[in-house]
Amino acid sequence: MIEALWGNISDPALFATVLRVMTPLLLAALGVLISDRAGVLNIGMEGIMLSGALVGVLASAWTGQPFIGLFAALACGGMLGALMALAINGLGTHFIITGIALNLAAASATTLGLFLATGDKGMSGALQSGVLPSITIPLVHDMPVVGRLLSGHHMLTYLAILAVPLVSIMLARTPLGLHIRAVGSDHKAAATAGVSRNRTQLLALTLSGVFGGAAGSYLSMGYVSWFAQNMTAGRGFIAIAAEVMGMGTAWGTFAAAAVLGIAETTAITMQTMGLPNELMQMIPYIVPVLVLTIYAARRQAKTQTHL
Amino acid sequence: MIRSILAGMTEFALTALVISVVILAVLVPVAMAQSDPMQVLQLFILGPLGSMRSIGNILEAATPTMLTGLAATVIFRAGSFNLGIEGSFFVGGISATAAALMLPLTGFVAAPTAILAGALVGSLACIVPGYLRVRFGASEMVNSLVLNFAFLYAGIFVLNYFLRDPNAGALASYRLPENFALDRLMQGTRLHSGVIIALIACILGGIWLYGTRSGLNVRIVGAGPGMAQHLGLSAAGLVMRAQIIGGLVAGMAGAIEVLGLYSRFTWTSLPGHGWTGITVAILARENPYIVLPAALFLAYLQVGGDRLSRNMDLPSEVVGLATAAIMLVVTATAIFRHPAFLRLIRDIKGQEQVA
Repeated sequence: MIEALWGNISDPALFATVLRVMTPLLLAALGVLISDRAGVLNIGMEGIMLSGALVGVLASAWTGQPFIGLFAALACGGMLGALMALAINGLGTHFIITGIALNLAAASATTLGLFLATGDKGMSGALQSGVLPSITIPLVHDMPVVGRLLSGHHMLTYLAILAVPLVSIMLARTPLGLHIRAVGSDHKAAATAGVSRNRTQLLALTLSGVFGGAAGSYLSMGYVSWFAQNMTAGRGFIAIAAEVMGMGTAWGTFAAAAVLGIAETTAITMQTMGLPNELMQMIPYIVPVLVLTIYAARRQAKTQTHL
Repeated sequence: MIRSILAGMTEFALTALVISVVILAVLVPVAMAQSDPMQVLQLFILGPLGSMRSIGNILEAATPTMLTGLAATVIFRAGSFNLGIEGSFFVGGISATAAALMLPLTGFVAAPTAILAGALVGSLACIVPGYLRVRFGASEMVNSLVLNFAFLYAGIFVLNYFLRDPNAGALASYRLPENFALDRLMQGTRLHSGVIIALIACILGGIWLYGTRSGLNVRIVGAGPGMAQHLGLSAAGLVMRAQIIGGLVAGMAGAIEVLGLYSRFTWTSLPGHGWTGITVAILARENPYIVLPAALFLAYLQVGGDRLSRNMDLPSEVVGLATAAIMLVVTATAIFRHPAFLRLIRDIKGQEQVA
């Protein structure tokens, strides 16, 4: 059994699987990160991903263009994020309740939308929806070993990894990032400096939604090529956990998404070895709980010794 | 006294007004797309109240959400955002199934024992994130969100490996023994005695929260841990107490739902009654007594949606959209904390309240 496990781990295809599993988590977690730094943790990520997944499939099926599907998913995500911001700052709702409401609404709306478009409530199998391409990097692709590791992955995988330094720089070095962090840490202090909380949180949640839309379109136009009812299966919540595991930094979030990607890949590998499928599926949901608890325990120990 | 009742009624009237606006905003566009818009509205609004049978359907649909609403109320009142109720509901259902299939019980102890088993095991989904919060300071919200799915798969594992009936076709448990089923109360509906348990539970919950020292202490902790500390209350113990009670109630809800409605356990995804319970608790302003009408109201919408989907080609998911919108508007501080409204309430209350 150990031998079989090792045989699986040393397989270069495994690296590709980790990237495949990690991509939606990383995209969504970066979205959660931006919202969290602005002080409005995006609990609605699950619903945004689900909506993005459906809109991507529908738009690409209607136009025959996968990229129009992607842009529609991004626009849909951004719009939902903006709606959340309007509810939070316009109606004065609590951001957690706003997120829960969005998740509930998205679960109903996507089923409704799928039914209206296809007459089926479960899956979009009848639609000819597009798939976003994988990218082969010229030259690198032909190199031994490195070629297989670096080239030939899904375009959103590259985009997700590229987004890590971009989000990091955006938060640390740009005026928008400064405003986001200022509003997130103390919106009253930010207001005295002339930084509008409404405007900043609107931008942050819109951006967060765009990331969620990208994560959703990856699920339905990359990971698989169809939309299924509730296909996100809690990935939006794992993304929230990943962001918290990453301690509010882009690179930390990247590391956390990688850890969770490895955990899920291990689970998939062990299923193929005959271990109970359901128990293995628990792994990606238990790892974040363990990590968050260890973090919290260490933080607690530290503050106690300082006292 | 009369003035404060009047003030409460004003707040209720505003809530009702806001909710009606939301429902119409969701429903009218849908109705306009149909050939006979008035019939849609009539089916949805009057249909559920048309016969004893459909009132029975409302009670039946409200049974699980009264209990999950109570669970959410208790947990929220302790100031904790533990969303493990959904997991507790599922685990409660599967545990009651396991108890019914494995324990050789007969007579009047059978069903209560299975419900107790469901409550005890189900409560774990709330207790674990609650404990991690109290003991280590880990976010109960994030942990409970993720753990719900871990509990889901653990439950499906138990179903698949220990309780599965290989002859049932799809993934389903063996047939539940007859003597574990809850009594049916009304011909032509699936209304079962669980509704009485739910009713009593909510009333007991209200008495506990407003009439006992223990409930008062929990409310004090929820209102402000600083105040609780000042009074010498153990915040950790009280928060934990609320998680345990909430978890037990949510687990019991799942057990009652399974024993009351089904002949086999067939859930392979989270059934969503926990989330509805959270909506109920919010709609009820976290008051166990108001949980009853709040759950009934959401069930009324649900039955109205079912009517629509049965009589016209309209999926009942429309109701899900309306419910989510209701959840938002009833917590909107821009409406319920609007200076003009607060002034109105103060005027009604007169000199009772010193501003």
